[in-house]
Amino acid sequence: MIAASSTALPLETVEPIAAVAAEDWLFVLDNYEYLLAGAVITVALTATSIVLGLLLGFPAGAIELYGGRFSSGVVRKAGVAIRGTPILVIMVFTFFVFPLEWLYVLPASEPFQAAVLALGVRSAAYQSQIFRGALRSIDPGQLEAAQSIGMSKREAIGYVLVPQALRRSVPGFQNEFTIVLKDTSIAFAIGLGELLRHSHDLMTQQTTAALELFVFASLIYFLLTISTNRTLDYVNDRYAIPGEG
Amino acid sequence: MTAQRTDERDNERRRAEHEPLLRIENVWKSFGTEQVFRGIDLEVDRGDVEVLVGPSGSGKSTLLRCVNRLTEIDEGAIYLDGERVTDADANVNELRQQVGMVFQDINLFAHLTARENVTLGLRRVRGFGKSEARDRADRELANVGLSDQVDSYPAQLSGGQKQRVGIARALAMDPKLMLFDEPTSALDPELSNSVLEVMERLVEAGMTMLVVTHEMRFARSAADSITFLEGGQVVERGPPERLFERPERERTREFLESIYG
Ligand SMILES: Nc1ncnc2c1ncn2[C@@H]1O[C@H](COP(=O)(O)OP(=O)(O)OP(=O)(O)O)[C@@H](O)[C@H]1O
Ligand SMILES: [Mg+2]
Repeated sequence: MIAASSTALPLETVEPIAAVAAEDWLFVLDNYEYLLAGAVITVALTATSIVLGLLLGFPAGAIELYGGRFSSGVVRKAGVAIRGTPILVIMVFTFFVFPLEWLYVLPASEPFQAAVLALGVRSAAYQSQIFRGALRSIDPGQLEAAQSIGMSKREAIGYVLVPQALRRSVPGFQNEFTIVLKDTSIAFAIGLGELLRHSHDLMTQQTTAALELFVFASLIYFLLTISTNRTLDYVNDRYAIPGEG
Repeated sequence: MTAQRTDERDNERRRAEHEPLLRIENVWKSFGTEQVFRGIDLEVDRGDVEVLVGPSGSGKSTLLRCVNRLTEIDEGAIYLDGERVTDADANVNELRQQVGMVFQDINLFAHLTARENVTLGLRRVRGFGKSEARDRADRELANVGLSDQVDSYPAQLSGGQKQRVGIARALAMDPKLMLFDEPTSALDPELSNSVLEVMERLVEAGMTMLVVTHEMRFARSAADSITFLEGGQVVERGPPERLFERPERERTREFLESIYG
């Protein structure tokens, strides 16, 4: 058995592959600072986009559900349009067409601003649906009970429905977070130096390290996903309603 | 000026003497093509307990909901304390403060403790300060026998305990009238008793109540009058002794026999 396998896989052929791989891993390690700099941009882009998506998306979800006919119609149609457009198209639009100088508040590069805007608005379109679904899942009796003690509908929504819907949004939000994190790599296309772009830059310097570079990048995406999911699991448990679920 | 003031005072006195606390006048209501009320009239005096009975779908819940305008009527009028509360320009939120509602499915605020369920309205609607609201809530919860449960969440309470929180939440608003929509029908019989006891004490304290219930014992002991609702109309109304012993309408006897056996 042993003899047979050593003829099938002679040492001479194994060694060079191992040697080449080691060299490429060394290349990855030598450039880890450059890769981590890309990872930092990825994290910053994810966080900013998610926050923008939250700030726009949650109110949009509430307006879509409770707003007047006009406002809910506008929000709903905008959501459909945005969700129906590929993220790459949105990003190319925000980068090449949208007048970014309107966003003079953001102390960041143009590609970063364009990417945040695209990812944030797209995420808002999805987060609005997460939140709307959570609001709708709450028993209408909760609203009536609040109104029956003299609260206006607005107060009832604010004090009774929204706090419950926020808790129910966490699992959907967890998903959305992962999607935004991975889609930051689209910003590659508009030249933003995020994690994937930096991996690619290095690959053009040493093409044999392509596999190692992308394994490394995937590992970072994976670690970021795991750690944010764990954090949100904790948030979910921490704010769970005692005695429920 | 003086004459006017005397007039007003006279009016007030007359109102206090003759005006029932709740007056439902020729109320019509339909949902789509389904005619639920065809001219309902009902008056409930201050301190009285009116029990509302009727077959499923006869509109008992709808009538209560019309009184605090969770449902709007099509025609007719409802007066609370002489004020026409079904007018389009009547203040709905103010009306609802004056009318406590206890629901069949309880509807406690799921994300709040028992105490917070009571303080929410005190703080946000009545403008109580934090400690003032807390004291009042604790008093209301003590009155319904839940001093030990103030920090429990609804999901941690039994059905009977939850419904008593529901009553405390409504009473904290100092309502003139309390509406109960089958407050015990979702509860096990042993758990119903604690709720019925709270309601009986409320009756003794002189609260005006409109109660939908099929609890025979409560109807017999607490009701000043029972209204039998069917076919969109009040079929018969009278004190419990008369309605149970010698109903005027054959239909009333049949119905009461069918639910009380
Ligand atoms: N929001 C609504 N939309 C349409 N129809 C309704 C609505 N609310 C009540 N109804 C109808 O009105 C009728 C009266 O309903 P209601 O719930 O008041 O009856 P009920 O006497 O309380 O019955 P139950 O004893 O089963 O509680 C029913 O036929 C019901 O289907
Ligand atoms: Mg009912």
